[in-house]
Amino acid sequence: MANEFPFEISPMFEGERVRKDDMFVELAGPKSRGFELVRAASVDEIEDGKFTLIGPDISEMQEGSRHPYAMIYRIAGKLVEPDLEAIVERRNHDFQNYIQGYMHLNQRYDVWVRINKDAIKKGLKSFEQIAKATMMLFKNELPFIEKIEATYVTNPEEVEKQRAEAIKIYEARDARTRGLHDEDVDVFYGCTLCQSFAPTNVCVVTPDRISLCGAINWFDGRAAAKVDPEGPQFAIPKGEVIDKISGEYSGVNEKAVALSGGEYSRIRIHSFFEYPHTSCGCFEVVGFYIPEVDGIGWVDRDFTGTAPNGLAFSTMAGQTGGGKQIIGFLGVGVNYFRSPKFIQADGGWNRVIWMPKNLKEKIKADIPPELVDKLPTEEDVTDLKTLRDYLEKKQHPITQRWTKEEAAAETVAEAPAGAAPEWSMPAPAMGMPVGMPMVPMQFGGGEGMKLTFKNAKITIDRVVLRSKEK
Amino acid sequence: MTIKKGSFVIEGLENVQINIGKVVGQGQEIEGPTPRPEIISLRNWDYRILDRYNPVYTPTGDTCDYCTYGKCDLTGNKEGACGIDLEGQSAREALRISIMGAACHSAHGRHLLNYLIRKYGEDYPIDVGPSNLKAPLTETIMGVTPKTIGDFLPVLEYVEEQLTQLTAAINTGQEGAAIDFESKALHAGMLDLLGMEVADIIQISCLNLPKAEENTPLAEIGMGILDPKKPVVICVGHNIAAPAYILDHMDRNGLFDKIEIAGLCCTAHDMTRYKKTAKIIGSMSKELKYIRSGIPDVLVTDEQCVRADILREAKKLQIPVIATNEKITYGLPDRSNDPVDAIVEDLASGKNEGALILDLEKVGEVVPKLAMKIGPIRKAKGITALPDDEEFKKLVSKCTKCLQCTRDCPQSLPISDAMAAAVGGDLSKFEELHDRCVGCGRCDYSCPADIPVLNVIEKASQRVIREEKGKVRIGRGQIGDPEIREEGRNLVLGTTPGVLAFVGCGNYPDGTKDVYDVVEEMLRRSYIIISSGCSAMDIGMYKDTEGKTLYERYPGRFIKGNLLNTGSCVSNAHIAATTIKVASIFAGRKTKGNWEEIADYVLNRVGAVGIAWGAYSQKAFAIGTGCNRLGIPVVVGPHGTKYRRAFIGKPYRKDKWNVLDARDGSVINVEPAPEHLMITAETKNELMPLLAKLCFRPSDNSLGRAIKLTHYIELSEKYMKKMPDDWHIYVRNEADLPLAKKEQLMKLLEEKGWKIDWDKKKIMEGPLRKVDVSFQPTNVPRLCKEVKK
Ligand code: SF4
Ligand code: SF4
Ligand code: SF4
Repeated sequence: MANEFPFEISPMFEGERVRKDDMFVELAGPKSRGFELVRAASVDEIEDGKFTLIGPDISEMQEGSRHPYAMIYRIAGKLVEPDLEAIVERRNHDFQNYIQGYMHLNQRYDVWVRINKDAIKKGLKSFEQIAKATMMLFKNELPFIEKIEATYVTNPEEVEKQRAEAIKIYEARDARTRGLHDEDVDVFYGCTLCQSFAPTNVCVVTPDRISLCGAINWFDGRAAAKVDPEGPQFAIPKGEVIDKISGEYSGVNEKAVALSGGEYSRIRIHSFFEYPHTSCGCFEVVGFYIPEVDGIGWVDRDFTGTAPNGLAFSTMAGQTGGGKQIIGFLGVGVNYFRSPKFIQADGGWNRVIWMPKNLKEKIKADIPPELVDKLPTEEDVTDLKTLRDYLEKKQHPITQRWTKEEAAAETVAEAPAGAAPEWSMPAPAMGMPVGMPMVPMQFGGGEGMKLTFKNAKITIDRVVLRSKEK
Repeated sequence: MTIKKGSFVIEGLENVQINIGKVVGQGQEIEGPTPRPEIISLRNWDYRILDRYNPVYTPTGDTCDYCTYGKCDLTGNKEGACGIDLEGQSAREALRISIMGAACHSAHGRHLLNYLIRKYGEDYPIDVGPSNLKAPLTETIMGVTPKTIGDFLPVLEYVEEQLTQLTAAINTGQEGAAIDFESKALHAGMLDLLGMEVADIIQISCLNLPKAEENTPLAEIGMGILDPKKPVVICVGHNIAAPAYILDHMDRNGLFDKIEIAGLCCTAHDMTRYKKTAKIIGSMSKELKYIRSGIPDVLVTDEQCVRADILREAKKLQIPVIATNEKITYGLPDRSNDPVDAIVEDLASGKNEGALILDLEKVGEVVPKLAMKIGPIRKAKGITALPDDEEFKKLVSKCTKCLQCTRDCPQSLPISDAMAAAVGGDLSKFEELHDRCVGCGRCDYSCPADIPVLNVIEKASQRVIREEKGKVRIGRGQIGDPEIREEGRNLVLGTTPGVLAFVGCGNYPDGTKDVYDVVEEMLRRSYIIISSGCSAMDIGMYKDTEGKTLYERYPGRFIKGNLLNTGSCVSNAHIAATTIKVASIFAGRKTKGNWEEIADYVLNRVGAVGIAWGAYSQKAFAIGTGCNRLGIPVVVGPHGTKYRRAFIGKPYRKDKWNVLDARDGSVINVEPAPEHLMITAETKNELMPLLAKLCFRPSDNSLGRAIKLTHYIELSEKYMKKMPDDWHIYVRNEADLPLAKKEQLMKLLEEKGWKIDWDKKKIMEGPLRKVDVSFQPTNVPRLCKEVKK
C-alpha cells in the first residue's frame, strides 16, 4: 500500500530502541528538558491538521546533538472534555513508537525521544512529518477527536516557559483524579475485554477501583466509552445506592446479571467476603482469608515463596480467577491498595495482616502509617503460629477482633494439643464468614463415630477415597 | 489427619498399629465427561474438527502391500482385496505414524519412570515450579491430579493399553473408514502429548531440572565449541538417564577440566538442564558430520534420533560406542555385569567396537575412564574421516558433474557446482552447502566416482565450522502460572498477537538460518516464541552484528516479544499444556477429564500455532496430531508433505464455519479462524504471513484483531509483495482495522463493495458478522446454555 510518510508505521516498531551509535538526534530526556501535553479546546478554536514548530527543525539539527523538546496537542470535538486529556496524552507514547526509527520513552515531563540515522536517510526531514503521522493515529484510534492541531517546541527558552505551565496542569489534573471518588460520579464503567478469555467476568471500574489488570481506570473507561459506546468499555449508570460502605449499586447489579450471563446478580465493589468483585486471571495481587487470625493476607505474582498459610501465589491464584466470584479470595490490581475505599466493607487496612516484603515496599506510602510496622512480611513470620505471635506482639488492630470473638466462643473446646498436622486449625474458635471454603481441605475428620481399639493390628491394603455423589 | 501410605501407631490406643498399603484417588473429583478416554470416547470431538478441517492426502504410492493379499492396486476407485480404498489406506498410514511417535515418547517415559522409581521411590513428590495445575495434560486426559511420581504409573499403563488398542485397529480386516482412522490418529497424538508430559515432569522432579525458570543460564552450542585436544565424550539421543550418571561421576571426580562432554540432539538439552556446564553440539543433522570429524573419543547412545549406522561410522574411526538403552543395541555384547576395568580395557584396546551397558551407574564410571584412556591414543593417531588438503584437491577434481548426488540429496543441493568452485580454490559454495545439508550421507552412496561427498563438504567448511559457536537458553520446563497471569493482560488486550511454538527437528528445506530469520521477525512483532528440541538449538546458532544470539537479545519470560526454550522433545508437552492452563486460569474451565471442552476453548480463543519447520520423524507427526486434537493449528515445512496428510480448512465452504454462541446456542457464521489445522508452507516467505493468519480466533476482541491483522497484512506485503487476498474477511468493523492504515483500508473495502460512512468513519455494510465482545464461540452443543429450537 502507498505510504504518505517516509517511514513505516506499525506496532512492530514499539519495542524498537535507538542506541547511541545509531542516533541522529536526542530530544528531551534525562540530559535535557521536555514534555508532552494534550489540551481540550472548542471546535472553532482549532484548525484541523495544523502544525506549528517553534525552534529549529530536524533538518537544521546537527547529527549527534541534543535538544529540548515539547509536543503540545489541542483537540476538539463534541465529546471532547478536559477529563479526557490525560488519556489521550498517554497514547502519544504508543503512537509515536509505531513510527519506525523514532523512540519515545516515558511520559509527561519525563519524555525522552531519539531519532535514528536510518530514518533520516529514508527521508525524515521535519517534525511536521512526525506530528502529522501522530495526529493521523490519534484521529484513527479516537474518533471523538474531530479536530486536532499540534505545536512542537525545540527552542530552549520556549520549552522552559511552557513546561512550567504544563507542570501546573499536570498537578491540577492529579488533584482532580485523587479527589474524585465513587460518590462524585453518576456512572461507572464496565470492561468486557477479558470476556474473550474469561466469559463470565464483569469488570467494574470506578474512581476508587481500578480494573483488576491494572490497565484501565475510570478515566480510561470514560474515554473508551466515548469512542464507541457499544465497544468493550461502556458506561454503567450507578442507579440506587444499596450499600454505601461495601459499594453496592442497583445499576451495577443489573449489569452484572447481563454480563455474566445470569451467573451473578450482586457485586459489592469494595467487599472481600460478600458478593466480591469477580476475578479474571490477570490480577496482579491475590488476597486470601486466613481464618486462624481472621485476617486477610495479600500475595503478588512476583513472590516465589509461600505465604504463612503454607501456600504459594500460584496455588491461591488457582482458587481464584476464571471470571468468578470466589468467597475468601480476591484478585486486585496493585493500584487498588491506593484506594481510600480499599476493602472497606470488611475493615479495610485493619484487616490486612500479611504481604510479601517487595509488595509492601511498593505501596508503603499508601499503608496507613500506624500500620506499617505492624504488618509482617515473609521476613518476620513464616507460619501461622509466628504470624499470630507477631500480630499479638505488635498489637495489630486485628487482635481486637480476636478478643471479641474469643469471648463469644468461650464455650468451644480447645483442640487437642500437639500432633496437629500442618494445616489443621489450631484453635477452631475463630468465627468465620458463612460460606467460607476451607481450601486446602484435609479429608477425614470426625463424623460423630467412636471406635475403640485395643491390642489391634490393622492392615489396610489400599484405601480408596471417593468424593460424595452430588 | 491425612491418610497416607505407611505404618501408624496412634497415641492413646494401646498396641494398635495401622498399616495402609495404598491410597487411591485422594478425594479427587472428576470434572468432565471423559476421564481416561477410550479410543472412541472423543470421537464426537474428532468428527467436529474433521468436518471442518478435512484430511487431504498426498500418498506417495497408490498400492498397498500391508498383507499377503497384496500388493493391491488402489488407483481410481479401486479397493484392495481386503476392501480398503486409497483414502482409508492413507488414513491408516497416518494412524500408524502417530502410533509410532506416541510409542516412542511413552516408551521413553516408561524407561525413565521405572528407573526413577527404582532410584527415588514411588512416593517421590512432583515438583515442577510455581503452578496450580502441575500436570495439565494428565489432569485433562486422566481426570486425576498426580502428586508423586508413582501416580504416573497408571497414566503410562493407560497410554500403553490405548496404544495396543490403536495398533490393533491397523491390522488388515479391522478399521475401514478413513475418518475413524483419523479419529484414532488424533487419539494417538493425544496419548503422545500425555507420554511426553509424564517423561518430562518426572525428570524435572527427580533430577531437579529447571522448574519453570525464566532466567536459566545460557549453554554453549556448536560444532566448534569443544577443545579437541582433550578427550571428548559425546552423548547422542534423547534420554538423560545415562548421561546423568556420567555427569555425576565427572563432577565427583573433578573431571570437567580434563574431559570435554557434550550432547547431540535432545539429550544435549537435558544434559544442560541437569548440569549447567554441559554443552550442546547441535541437532541430529550434526550427528554424522561430527562423528566424521573424528573429534569424539567415546560415543554414548541412548534412544531416539540415533543414526542406524552410528556403530559402522564410529568403528571406521576407532570410536567406541556405549549403548545404554534396550531399544538401541546394535548387536553389541551385553557387558552390564562385567567389571568396569575389563570393559574399558576391551574397548580401549579395540578388542570390542562397543558395548551394551544397561547398568547406568556402570556407564557413569566406564565412559570417563574410557575417554581418558582412549582419548590420547586417538589424538596421537590423528584419526579423522576428513581428507587432508592434498586429498581434498584430488577428490574435488574427480567430480564428473553427473549430478547423481544432487538427484539423491533430500535437499537437492548443487554439489557439483561447489566441487567445481573448489577446484579453483573457492570454498564459499561448500560453506553455503554445509548449512543447508542435513548430514544424511546419501550422497556418499550416490557418487559413481567414489567421492565421499559429505566428508568433502565438511572438510571444505572447516572455517565456518570452527566459528560455529552459539548460545542456547537452557530448557526451562513448564510455563509457570504467575507468568501466564501476567501475560494474560497482553493476551486479552491483544497486544500479544499470538504464541508461536517452534518445535521439532532440523530437516529444514533451506538451512537453519530460515528458522532464525522467522523467529527474529516474529519476536520483533511481539509474538511469544516458545521453542524446544532441535529448533531451540538452531535458533541459537546465529548472531547479529553485535555478536549476540537471539537468546541473548530476548529474555525468556512468557511475555510478549520473549523467546523461551522449554527443553528437549518431551518438553513439548508443556507448550501444548500452556493452552490448558490459559483455559483454566482465565476462564476457570474445569480440566479433569474434560478434554473436549478445553480443546474447544483453545480452538476458539487461544491464538497459538505450532511450527515444525524441519519435522522429520514419526514423533513430530504425533506431536502435531496431538496439538490438533487440542485445537492448536500446526504448520510443517515442505518436507512435511512427506507425512502425506494435512488437515485443511475450506474458507469458501461457509457452512463449515458455523459456531454456536454458548450464551444461547444460536448459530453464528464466523470468519475462517483458524483456517487450517495442519498445513505445509513451502518457503519461509510464505510461512510468516500464514503464521500471522493462523493466530486469528473467533473470540478476538477488536484490539487484538486489529493487531493480528496488522501483522498479517504487513508480513504479506513484506514477504509476498502483495496484500493478502483474504484480509477483508477478518474485518468485522472499523475497530478491527490496523490503525496506521485505517483510511486506506476503508477505501479498499469500499472498492470491494462495502458501504462506508465517511463522516463517522464507520463501516455500515460488508462484514460477515458484528463484533460482540461477550460472544462465546463453541463447537460443542452441550456447552450452550439453552439450545434454540
Ligand atoms: S491390506 Fe488390503 S489393500 Fe493392503 S495389501 Fe492387504 S489386502 Fe491389499
Ligand atoms: S549429506 Fe547433505 S549433501 Fe549429502 S545427500 Fe544428505 S543433505 Fe544432501
Ligand atoms: S555424484 Fe559424484 S561425480 Fe556426480 S556430481 Fe555428485 S559428486 Fe560429482
